[in-house]
Amino acid sequence: MSIVSTVQPDLRRSKINWQKVLVIFLFAVVPLFLLILFTYIPFGKMIQFSFHNMSYTKDKGFVGFDNYLKIFTKPEYVDAMLLSLYYMAGAVVQLALALFFASVLSLERLRGSGIYKAVLFFPFLVNGIAIGYIFKYFFTHGFVLDTVLQAIGIPLEKLPYWLRDQSVNNWSLVFTSVWKYCGQNMVLFIGAIASIDPTLYEAATIDGANRWQQFKAIILPGIKTVFMLNLILSITGSLSAFEPAYVVGSMGANGTATFFIKIHQMAHVSQKVGQACAMAMVLMALILLFTVLQRLFFRYVMKDSESTFNAKANKAKALW
Amino acid sequence: MKKILSLVLAVCLMLGLASFASAEETLPTFDQIVLGENTDLTAKIHFAYHRTDIADKLNGYVEAFRQIYPNVEIEYELITDYAENALMRVGNTDWTIMGIPTVQKDELSKYFVPLGSLETLSGLYNFMSSWSFDGVCYGIPSTGNANGVLYNKRIFAEAGVTELPKTPDEFIAALKAVKEKTDAIPLYTNYAAGWTMGAWDAYIGVAATGKDTYMNQELAHAKDPFADQGNGTGPYAVYKILYDATAEGLIEDDYTTTDWEGCKPMLNNGQIASMVLGSWAFTQMRDAEGGEHPEDVGYMAFPISIDGKQYAPAGGDYNFAINVQASYEEKLASMYYLKWLTHESGFAYSEGGVPIDKSGEYPDLYAAFDGIDMLSDADSLPGEETLLNEMNAESELNFNAGGNTKVQEIIEHAFNHDKTFDEIMADWNAAWSDAQAALNVEVK
Repeated sequence: MSIVSTVQPDLRRSKINWQKVLVIFLFAVVPLFLLILFTYIPFGKMIQFSFHNMSYTKDKGFVGFDNYLKIFTKPEYVDAMLLSLYYMAGAVVQLALALFFASVLSLERLRGSGIYKAVLFFPFLVNGIAIGYIFKYFFTHGFVLDTVLQAIGIPLEKLPYWLRDQSVNNWSLVFTSVWKYCGQNMVLFIGAIASIDPTLYEAATIDGANRWQQFKAIILPGIKTVFMLNLILSITGSLSAFEPAYVVGSMGANGTATFFIKIHQMAHVSQKVGQACAMAMVLMALILLFTVLQRLFFRYVMKDSESTFNAKANKAKALW
Repeated sequence: MKKILSLVLAVCLMLGLASFASAEETLPTFDQIVLGENTDLTAKIHFAYHRTDIADKLNGYVEAFRQIYPNVEIEYELITDYAENALMRVGNTDWTIMGIPTVQKDELSKYFVPLGSLETLSGLYNFMSSWSFDGVCYGIPSTGNANGVLYNKRIFAEAGVTELPKTPDEFIAALKAVKEKTDAIPLYTNYAAGWTMGAWDAYIGVAATGKDTYMNQELAHAKDPFADQGNGTGPYAVYKILYDATAEGLIEDDYTTTDWEGCKPMLNNGQIASMVLGSWAFTQMRDAEGGEHPEDVGYMAFPISIDGKQYAPAGGDYNFAINVQASYEEKLASMYYLKWLTHESGFAYSEGGVPIDKSGEYPDLYAAFDGIDMLSDADSLPGEETLLNEMNAESELNFNAGGNTKVQEIIEHAFNHDKTFDEIMADWNAAWSDAQAALNVEVK
């Protein structure tokens, strides 16, 4: 009896295991094959190309780090990289706005909050190219934005040319980017806030905490992970900003060419594929660097504040 | 297996015989074709072409042709992504006539019927050299384009410009007069579309130097090609017009938000006085939706004179060619149809192009081109076919190859006063000579 019972499950298990392995293998092999074919092999090729002087049809051979050196010796590329600072500043504003909307929509029992969420999220669903065309008209001198500003009493002569003046045009482009991605960040925040235990608010209210205190003590720590994720995504997104400058800024004209646009021009207009690959590698390295820096920042700076808090608490305990 | 092999063999033999048979009846050359002969010709022609916008017009041509050759059936296949599609199908038998895609010149005889010797045909027709190899022509251009400047006749008249400007100074003076005396934008740049600004590159060869060899043979070897020639000619003079017009406030107010579709009726209605674009743009401006004064749209040569003479760059559009694998009757019928298209149909005229037939008169739009020599760029020298491309890529200036950014920058610097024109041209010269050094190009 005992023999039978031990053998049977074993048999069954080995049979199921074999099926499982087959199924797992079959399901995994297709996506893995696609992933390797369309991501890792091209990526390897990109690394290889970045050391070659080549166009689409001709490879003039290995040139070592020449392509990389050219990026850092030409001031126009460094300028293009510095343009990301505009988008990073925009990312901070964007996160603050998204957090504000998310908290208000989660904390207050607003009538029709679903509609507000939908309205704020909608821009993210619109195609980036379409947004570009919308904002091109929006910023044209004397068109949408200027009409609105005139209606509140600012004369047209005092308004800048939003896309022509190089002192404001990059801010205009950053605005379109914030407009598009704010809703997406907000929805992620709302999701995170929804996962916080609602009884905490209740308890806080009973203790007499106001909205700001609730936000600081309950929401902010509760969504820390999602906040970090959003921050990293926004900052890395700023480094590779493309659509606003390409569509609204007429393909990066008038000092709006971001590093990504420079890569596009290098590869598709000048057809220097090797050089473009090197630029793409540099961009990737920058994004990695910023991601790591942010993680380190959160791990040590934030931890520091926590540990000083703990130290203070210990001190207090000791004193007690 | 044996069966298949023998079948293949049989087919090969038959094909061989067929080609042998047709080779016996030699085709006349294109210049020997006389319309109205051989009217009992029976054939079916499949015509692959890219002009999806004028399907009705093309069918109209077919009907008119069948008045003379009732037994010739012609079917147009209009293809949107023509360049790629045709390139893939060029070796097939499913077409009889097509516009020549970008094949290698030494492969022309593999795909297309020879139309005659370059020497004979170029005496009769314009722009024949572009698809010829070893002195034999394989294609005849559908129509030709010339490059000049679009302008509004009424606005120029209102501004008191009675004679068309022939030099950069005269042109700038005319634009100033337009600004003073009318409400029109003197020079519309079409900055935002990009490629419309790249159109300026078309003038640095023939129009600026009067030499048909400049663009494809000299530019790559030239020492400091963008330096001031001192006499209002050369590439320097071309771009200087744009810089000066911008610096003097003679272009549109908010250049970063120009609108290509919107500019068409604006030129037509006199809100824009001039635009620098090829002649293909003329019919678009004239027939623009919302344009109420098609008669005001004019075309003039680019305002640069070399020793008192103006030159206009011109070149052929897509070339028609006949499938070498077609039957003898199909080839002959195709010859007659192409002859009719280029001589009788008025195709070039209705497209606002330069007629291919040298005896043909130029359409009205080129009235201002009287006394102006039209030249098409000579081919690059043997062994240097790709040199200009390489120089373009290495210098990142990309003349006539998508280098729109550099032309846009001229406007930006002129408007912001942060760089003089000479500084810009010095940068270009430096980029050009660096590229020459990198590619070991002999500087002449």
